[in-house]
Amino acid sequence: MIKKEAAQVVSVTPLSAPRHFVLTMKSAHLASHSRPGHFIAVAADTGSAILRKPFSVYTVNPSAGEISILFSVYGPTTTAMSRMLPGDTIDVLGPLGGRVFNPEPVIGCHHILVGGGYGVPPLNYLAKSIRAVAPDTKVTVIIGARSANLLVGDDGLAAAGVDVIYCTDDGSTGVHGRVTDALLPLLQEDARVYTCGPTPMMKAVGELSEAHNVDCQVSLETFMPCGVGICVGCVVKKRDGVYSRTCTDGPVYPGCEVAW
Amino acid sequence: MSTVKMTVQIGTLTMRNPVTTGSGTFGFGSETKDLVPLDRLGAVTVKATTRDPRLGNPPQRIAETASGILNAIGLQNGGIDDYLTNKAPYLRDFDCPIIVNVPGENPDDFAYVVERLTAAGAADAVELNISCPNVSHGLDYATDPQLAASVVAAVRNVTKMPVIAKLSPNVTDIRVIAKACEDAGADALSMINTVVGTAIDPRKRKFRLANITGGLSGPAIKPVALLAVWRCYNSVKIPIIGMGGIACPLDAIEFMLAGATAVACGTGNFVDPTLSLEVIDGIEQYCVENGFADVNALIGAVTAA
Repeated sequence: MIKKEAAQVVSVTPLSAPRHFVLTMKSAHLASHSRPGHFIAVAADTGSAILRKPFSVYTVNPSAGEISILFSVYGPTTTAMSRMLPGDTIDVLGPLGGRVFNPEPVIGCHHILVGGGYGVPPLNYLAKSIRAVAPDTKVTVIIGARSANLLVGDDGLAAAGVDVIYCTDDGSTGVHGRVTDALLPLLQEDARVYTCGPTPMMKAVGELSEAHNVDCQVSLETFMPCGVGICVGCVVKKRDGVYSRTCTDGPVYPGCEVAW
Repeated sequence: MSTVKMTVQIGTLTMRNPVTTGSGTFGFGSETKDLVPLDRLGAVTVKATTRDPRLGNPPQRIAETASGILNAIGLQNGGIDDYLTNKAPYLRDFDCPIIVNVPGENPDDFAYVVERLTAAGAADAVELNISCPNVSHGLDYATDPQLAASVVAAVRNVTKMPVIAKLSPNVTDIRVIAKACEDAGADALSMINTVVGTAIDPRKRKFRLANITGGLSGPAIKPVALLAVWRCYNSVKIPIIGMGGIACPLDAIEFMLAGATAVACGTGNFVDPTLSLEVIDGIEQYCVENGFADVNALIGAVTAA
């Protein structure tokens, strides 16, 4: 169920990656209804920029009734968010998304989550969710970035028993290369792939998985003006030629449905 | 409960309050069911419904600009069959008049869709989209009084439902078009449709929209819309549904003072899908606070500065 609320800001914490923050807010509604892949839309009083901006749910703490989102400062909305203080209210709409990640069946698979940039936070949530219901299931998260100082979204993964592989374009940490370099050897029969990040990365991950007959779910990031399916502005072309609204028909699609 | 009379009349259509939704900014009513009970609205105006299904334009379809957005959706919709089968039954479950927005490439297209809607009882009024700037042939009708009148007349022939002509601001004198539509038998006018424009990404040196041109909406166009409403209010006798940049109750009040009998919340729904409800409550509260027993007293009540 979608709800609009003025949630109370619990904290806004800067990350080591420049201009990146984690904003935690109080919302019993979002904490109990969000699933990995869901997003929320934030409205901030920013003057001339009127539209809400979407953010994937990063962490969920149902007992505290809190959720968090991870963002980098890019425009007026994220600038306003970075300046929020504990106790401020944040205008949020959510949880949004018609189709989210589906890790079922959880047991008997090697879940491989491939993320880059702001694509990592929803995968972090997914990885922990899988481990929470099936503690013996193998989960690997591959995180890519241009450089070590831009790697974000790995908070708590190792503690949850998730294997984390870092890939950097400049070799400053982990694998010196692309996420697909790390993914390729893992594409065995039991693999299931989930990806979220820049479109060229998701396209490469989707195509590589498809070539190895591995199921791949992609969470598309498009410019979403409304987030609830009414503006029809966030469409992506599917292989059947139809323009699909990523906010309500997605954001998660089988990789084989997307006309990259 | 206040005792303000909130009902308004658009031809034979009675609205329980003066607030509807702008076509294309509220889907087909079901998308925001968690947030907006349709039976609170004066009417629901649904997304454009064409004779045949339309894929719409390729992305990028929307660009955010200063105090507004540019859109070039391209009338993506499933066509009249899809509307009658999959959309109308849901809408009919609510005690809320349905206004269906109808575009077309020629008068026959308009008449065909309106005839189907009439026969199925699947609308309570039709809004003729003679002014969509994003499809070829769409704009022409609203920029030429004779062409506009030809569409209104063709539709007038096939239905007794209220016929609303949606006018474009992209003309030299909107009053000429308004008068032509009134003379051809329109029961009401809605205005304004979006203002044609474009946006460029200077870093990429590319247009922001795949369609190059788009329709500007949002608070940026409110002054343009208000003037169009006021000018037409003083030129025609039929009621006007005013729209263009309404983002709060006082914006809606301005439209009514300029001469609108009803108003539509449009792009504001993208920011807050519950805007219409806020505007309904706000109009009523304004009437209470300013001693208006009947919301109709606001219509055209603006005076010189």
